[in-house]
Amino acid sequence: MTSPLRTLIAAERQRQRGGLALAALCAAAVTTSSVLLLGLSGWFITGAALAGLAGPVAASAFNFMLPAVGIRLLAIVRTGGRYAERVVGHDAALRALARLRPALFRAILAAPPATALAMTVGDASMRMVQDVDAVEARFVRRSTPWAAAAAVAAGMALLVPAGTAAAGATLGLVGLVGLTILAAWSLSALGREQGRAVQQANAKLKQEYATLAAAAAELRAYGLGDWAAGRIAEHGAGLLDAQARATAWGGWSALLQGLAPGAAAIAALALSVQTTLPLAALAALGAAMTLEGLAGFIRGFEVRGSLAESEARLEAALAVPPPAAPAVSVMRHPPRIILADPAAVLSPGMIVGLTGPSGSGKTTLLERLVGLRSHGGGRIELGGLDIAGFTLALLRQCFAYAPQDAALLAGTVRDNLLLACPRGEEDAMLWQALQDAALDDRVRALPDGLDSWVGENGARLSGGERRRLGLARAYLRPAPWLLLDEPTAGLDAATEALVVSRLRARLSRLGQGALIVSHRAPPLTICDRVLSLGAGQSHDAMRNRGACGT
Amino acid sequence: MMTDEQSKSAKAARRVWLGGVVAAGGWRNRAAAGLLVLDSVAAIGFAAGLAFGLTSLPQGLRATLPWLVLGLASAWLRGACAGLAARVGAGAARRAKARLRDRIVRATLALPLGTGPTTGALMTAAVDNVETLDGYVARFLPARGAMIGSAPILLAAALASPIAAGILAGTMVPFILVMILAGGAAADEAARQFTALTRLGALFADRIRMLPLVLVFQAEAAETARLAVAADDLRRRTMAVLRIAFLSSAGLEFFAALSVALVAVYAGFNLLGLLPGFVTEHLDLGRAFFVLALAPEFYAPLRRLAATYHDRQAAETVADGLRTIEAAAPVPGTIAPLLPGPPRIRFEQVTVRYAGEDRPALAGLDLDVAPGQIVALLGPSGAGKTTALNLLLGLAPLSQGEVTIDGARLSDLGVITGSIAWMGQVPTIMPGSIADNIGLARPGATMEEIAAVADKAGLGPLLSARGLDTLLDERGSGLSGGERQRIALARALLKPAPVLLLDEPTAHVDEAAEDALIAAIADAARGRTTLIATHSARLASIADTIIRLEAA
Repeated sequence: MTSPLRTLIAAERQRQRGGLALAALCAAAVTTSSVLLLGLSGWFITGAALAGLAGPVAASAFNFMLPAVGIRLLAIVRTGGRYAERVVGHDAALRALARLRPALFRAILAAPPATALAMTVGDASMRMVQDVDAVEARFVRRSTPWAAAAAVAAGMALLVPAGTAAAGATLGLVGLVGLTILAAWSLSALGREQGRAVQQANAKLKQEYATLAAAAAELRAYGLGDWAAGRIAEHGAGLLDAQARATAWGGWSALLQGLAPGAAAIAALALSVQTTLPLAALAALGAAMTLEGLAGFIRGFEVRGSLAESEARLEAALAVPPPAAPAVSVMRHPPRIILADPAAVLSPGMIVGLTGPSGSGKTTLLERLVGLRSHGGGRIELGGLDIAGFTLALLRQCFAYAPQDAALLAGTVRDNLLLACPRGEEDAMLWQALQDAALDDRVRALPDGLDSWVGENGARLSGGERRRLGLARAYLRPAPWLLLDEPTAGLDAATEALVVSRLRARLSRLGQGALIVSHRAPPLTICDRVLSLGAGQSHDAMRNRGACGT
Repeated sequence: MMTDEQSKSAKAARRVWLGGVVAAGGWRNRAAAGLLVLDSVAAIGFAAGLAFGLTSLPQGLRATLPWLVLGLASAWLRGACAGLAARVGAGAARRAKARLRDRIVRATLALPLGTGPTTGALMTAAVDNVETLDGYVARFLPARGAMIGSAPILLAAALASPIAAGILAGTMVPFILVMILAGGAAADEAARQFTALTRLGALFADRIRMLPLVLVFQAEAAETARLAVAADDLRRRTMAVLRIAFLSSAGLEFFAALSVALVAVYAGFNLLGLLPGFVTEHLDLGRAFFVLALAPEFYAPLRRLAATYHDRQAAETVADGLRTIEAAAPVPGTIAPLLPGPPRIRFEQVTVRYAGEDRPALAGLDLDVAPGQIVALLGPSGAGKTTALNLLLGLAPLSQGEVTIDGARLSDLGVITGSIAWMGQVPTIMPGSIADNIGLARPGATMEEIAAVADKAGLGPLLSARGLDTLLDERGSGLSGGERQRIALARALLKPAPVLLLDEPTAHVDEAAEDALIAAIADAARGRTTLIATHSARLASIADTIIRLEAA
């Protein structure tokens, strides 16, 4: 069974196969022309020297045109080939990456809620930016084996006429380089481990930083700035240590790249004692350039460790387990909610309050209804069917949710409101929702109105304003049931009363049902029923709607 | 759009800043460059070994042997220098990164709230962007320092054949022109690419934080599309940068290959005796081959430098961003001495206006809190209650008016957070145990003290169910709103500070438990000057004075 990441990469490779093939061709052309260029130059000079020594007749008989032209041509081919290889190769790679990123995001969203929510911000950022970047090597490096093979082939083509000994020696050296890489590879089961260690250290560092940065205010209040910086520095040192271990092979790789061509040239020369001088020159320089052609291939191994680790992490993120139980995907609309604990039947259009001491499961109930949680509490039926068998899509369709912590996007007011209407919405509707949440005056007073920036998680707004923006957002979603978790906490009495009355007006206007969790009295006054969750005891109190006014 | 003057001074400032960062690498910077120069010198030995080994080949192996040995030894030296240079360069980079990361982290932790870049962007800055400087210090700087390695090679070539050396030097001139032209164009593109990268990272971090709501509003498709657009933007920007970088390296390759070709052709014709009479130089095979073997080495330092060009571009773009962040950080003020006892706090016509905001967050507040008094601030949300508290913490700028603590001006006193115990609207939970989370307030507190304070804050039911050692994650999942608030209150109780600031402490707590909490707060406020921002009339009832704030 192939992993989802490999499938994705394979699909992208297939998509970009034209570009990648072209890149490989160019890479081969580059190494071939390198080998031929220097080899030919050496042969040319030596041949010319001999011809020159032999006298002017021999000199003028020496065919210098072909080699001279050939040399210039090779220079051009090499340059052009390099440029083409890099541009085409990287273009293909970057296109693949640009498609890999949304696929990764989609997979994270499709994962079961528990998995998705368990991912820390640092982890997630690491995967999207760095891990995906590392995968670029999978595309760009694909041409190096072709380049290496072409170099060896060209080298052999030059060297075999020079004498089998030299050719044999060069081949032997290529083999030696190959063995070195193999040894390093098996040691780089160690390299892979080291790469893994680097990625883990990086993720830990980011996570630590994100956590502490979010607590900046608290750190200031308790004078923990130095402590926080120290903790981050510790993780930073861990990362640097891991990196030092992982890049140790880089030193050896540089040694190999520096030594191999030189050794090849000397060996070829030594073994060409029996042949003519021009051919000896050809052998020496040809051998050197053949080994140089392997340089890209050798370099490719430096990133093996981090590549393997990045891919492992991406694979983990992309693995979406198949949905469990037979999924229900159709249901009677608008749905009736039947709760087992507390026992209650909630008809569409009812306004139901939910109270109880903190920790008694009010928020859990709401989270189960929107599919953010799959366990914890009694049976819930929707439209006559147990929600445990529902697809998440069907479940979420029935509800608009305003959670207690009113998380906001780092964006404008409009961005935040439109989260509830992915297909866009007219401004008039947005203002209506803001009015129903008693926030329209405040937004009108902002310098850019709906297009004003709210800061990270709404930091530019006060707590009460954030809560009301979350309410307005929930209002904008057309769903048979509205779920509100502490809609008026943190609001002063006047604003609270306004929000409550407008909520009531909206609900009756739209015929929407609502489930309102609140420990404050005012929101409960508009409820037809109030359910009380308590430690073990659950009962519900009927409230007379008429007594609360219209 | 920056004027020439401005961009020149910006470049100079950036250079100075980068110099400061790099200096942390110490002697390693110079050592790495020196090793690479040695590599070039060894190349001369190798070329000599090869050339004269070739010419002595007809005389048999014995004659050739010394040259072959020279050649092999030189090859070894080259490899060793390259390897060591990589190690030493990495060591320099490590030191530089550690220092810089620490500076950036300290700067960003002190940024006031609601202003400046998002947490995702700051995280990218502190971790990834500092990492970007690795290539700059480890590879680019040594390569740049080793550029003079071309000189000994040219000299050695000149010894053998001045004309060939002249050809080599001649091809360098157009090459440098090409490099300069390409370099300028690349810088702009690199800056744009960097912006796209930062934006993508910040967008992603933000949406992951919002994950539950993206799921609940079924906005997966819309948000994925938005991310796809950002990712594609990054692709285009990156490609634009790369195209220019590759063009400049292609230019380099072209001139390098051309130089070899020209030297080969010249030497060949010279050896054939086919050159016009004014060329007085007569080469023999040994010298010609020596020069030919040296030709590629002449350009090697430049090619090495070009290979690190991307590292330099990335570092320069990143440097601007990091410099801006460091500059934006508020200068750490003097730490005021601990207040001896509960102080008298006065606000006189205090106005707070954040940068870039039209409306002041707080306007003309007058307040007089006697030592040990409890004052409740009531008012509609947006009236500035939290801002008044943030002012004392140094997290909000004082635009007008004066705040005095025991008669001394706050601006003169400096940082008084050592004397403040504080509880915010939304407490932050760190990954760790409950005890760890409470114990942050006073490092060195014993478990008994923590347990006592947790009990006072009303965490009894939670602790009997789960215990002080229960581990929490960064989202604090598993805790109800009220429980989280109680942990924050326990923190405030643990710190023995003469000032107590509470911001909506009972906002997420139901009525039944609110009474217990109010009693605990009244207890904690005894002997401390206390400011409470709240809506709860019941909580405000414990206050000696109630101040109503109006929205500005």
